[in-house]
Amino acid sequence: MNKTIIININSIVFHIEEDAYEILRHYMIDIKKHFGRTTDSDEILQDIENRIAEMFSERIQAGKKEVISSLDVEEVIAQMGRVSDFEEVDDFSDTGDTDNKQQKEEKSSFLGHKKMMRNPDDMIIGGVCSGLAYYLGIQVKWIRILFVLFFLFGGSGVLLYVVLWVLMPLASSRADRMAMRGEEPNLQNFKKSLEDGVEQYKEGFNQAKGFMSKGVQAVGDAVSIIFRFIGKFFALLLLVFSGVAILGLIFLLVAFSLGVMGYQDNIVFPPLAYLSKEQGLIALLAGVLALIIPFIALFHLFLRILFRTAPMNTYISLSLWATWIVSIIMVVVYSLVGVQDFKEISTIKVEKPLQAQTIYRFAERDLRVIEASTLENGQKDYQVNTNAENFSSLIREEITVRFEQLDSLASPYIQYNYTAQGKTYQHAAERAAKIDYEIKEGKNKLIFDSHFKLGPTDLYRGQKVAVVVFLPLGSKVIIAEALQDKLRGISYWSCHDQADKNENGKETSWIMQKSGLACN
Amino acid sequence: MQSTIQKLYLCLIMIAINTQTQMRKGILEYCILSIISKGEIYASDIIAELKKAELLVVEGTLYPLLTRLKNNGLLSYNWQESTSGPPRKYYKITAEGEEVLKKLDHTWKELVYAVETSLSGRNNLI
Repeated sequence: MNKTIIININSIVFHIEEDAYEILRHYMIDIKKHFGRTTDSDEILQDIENRIAEMFSERIQAGKKEVISSLDVEEVIAQMGRVSDFEEVDDFSDTGDTDNKQQKEEKSSFLGHKKMMRNPDDMIIGGVCSGLAYYLGIQVKWIRILFVLFFLFGGSGVLLYVVLWVLMPLASSRADRMAMRGEEPNLQNFKKSLEDGVEQYKEGFNQAKGFMSKGVQAVGDAVSIIFRFIGKFFALLLLVFSGVAILGLIFLLVAFSLGVMGYQDNIVFPPLAYLSKEQGLIALLAGVLALIIPFIALFHLFLRILFRTAPMNTYISLSLWATWIVSIIMVVVYSLVGVQDFKEISTIKVEKPLQAQTIYRFAERDLRVIEASTLENGQKDYQVNTNAENFSSLIREEITVRFEQLDSLASPYIQYNYTAQGKTYQHAAERAAKIDYEIKEGKNKLIFDSHFKLGPTDLYRGQKVAVVVFLPLGSKVIIAEALQDKLRGISYWSCHDQADKNENGKETSWIMQKSGLACN
Repeated sequence: MQSTIQKLYLCLIMIAINTQTQMRKGILEYCILSIISKGEIYASDIIAELKKAELLVVEGTLYPLLTRLKNNGLLSYNWQESTSGPPRKYYKITAEGEEVLKKLDHTWKELVYAVETSLSGRNNLI
């Protein structure tokens, strides 16, 4: 009496003895393992299963024999063949079945058909140079010299090398190496490759060519040792370089984010000023990540080369890749967001009358200087009239001053042009309207502020002020030296000879003529 | 020194084995194509013919070859119901397969000539 199991092969049900089932199961596992490597394995396994099912059903006779015995299974397996029987036939075909067939069809064109692969038999860093040498049909030393030259000219050789290293697969199998050399994997070449292997085994690591004299061989050895040394040296150099770059970027991240949050003003990264605080922090993080991840990858790579450490965990390297791509997208997005806010430009024009005077004296008040003398009663507890924690980022000095002449009888006036940019024309106009800048009329003096203020939450969006002073012909004008940077249309220094020093600091005097202001 | 010689000897044996495998394999595909070109045929009938020709011993080796030939467009198949067991795949040669077969026929004639010419005059043949 035997225990039977019910199995189902391709939706046909069989009763099978327990020990027979075990044999069949092991056989199928072996077969799956064998074909599991090839691309067509699913179909092949299906065919084999189908055939087994058919052979089983041939053996079953209703009423007489209804159970598959271990003898049946053994016979079926013998007919189908064991994995060891298969190996004899598809010894060569298991490295990319479809490729082989294609190669067969284009036999004649095969000679020009090389694969770019890294050569593990002759490598200094990653075998890229010797792989390239085979691919291009040039001696490897020339490629190496070229790479060293590339490195010396701006270090571009390293980048190229790393890129090629990533792109070129390692020629690990004998067939790969033959493909790398552009040899057809046929019998003769296989034999040649084996002979090469034996030669190498006999004469050491270097390719020992029969005709090579010993002297030449020694020179070759020396060259290869030197290159190996140079390679290691550069790897160390780049390891240190990428390590320093990583540390530097971390430092910059901390410094800039403190700057964005308003703690420190010494280090300012100008583009960040175009974004709000929150956007700025995210953009900064994204930017630093976009730069730091390639350096981390390089650092890891050179660490591997120099100290043969383990390769990076797949999950870590995948998430690094993902982070890198996301951060690059973020940088692009924030650049676009920033640029968008500069799309439209709007100018608001305001004209204000000016009191007619015999001499117009223009001076400047530096907003950043608080003059205690102007305070009443020598009070010391003055208040700074701003609630911003970060004063210098809220004042802008995009101010220009021009002088134009009027008919001698007309009354003078000042024209202010407030300009700002924004996402829409509406935004730009609103921003322009927010600019608060006007000349102050003091005693005998017209005072320009050195800066204009942005609102405490406003960002710089191309805000600027253009002041035009319209004065009647013949007006006498005195301009303080502090205003020289704001002046447009005239050169302060052209009248510098006449500059006289008085209690108001350096000043120059001008007179309004038909052609504009001229030295008095 | 001893081990080097052993290694060399091993290599020679490997080369001999590989030569046999390669020869057999090249011929096998040609024969399968020829058998199928005679008309629609079922895999186990192909096996029977190959066994008769003493080219193939086990069935399992045939399936990878058939799949590959089919994937290269030289063969096609259709399912046919069977009286005993599951439906069967019947293989048929395609137009492309016919063309390849013609070329192979030509090559084979060349090979036969080449081998005969090379072997003629050898007296140690079995």
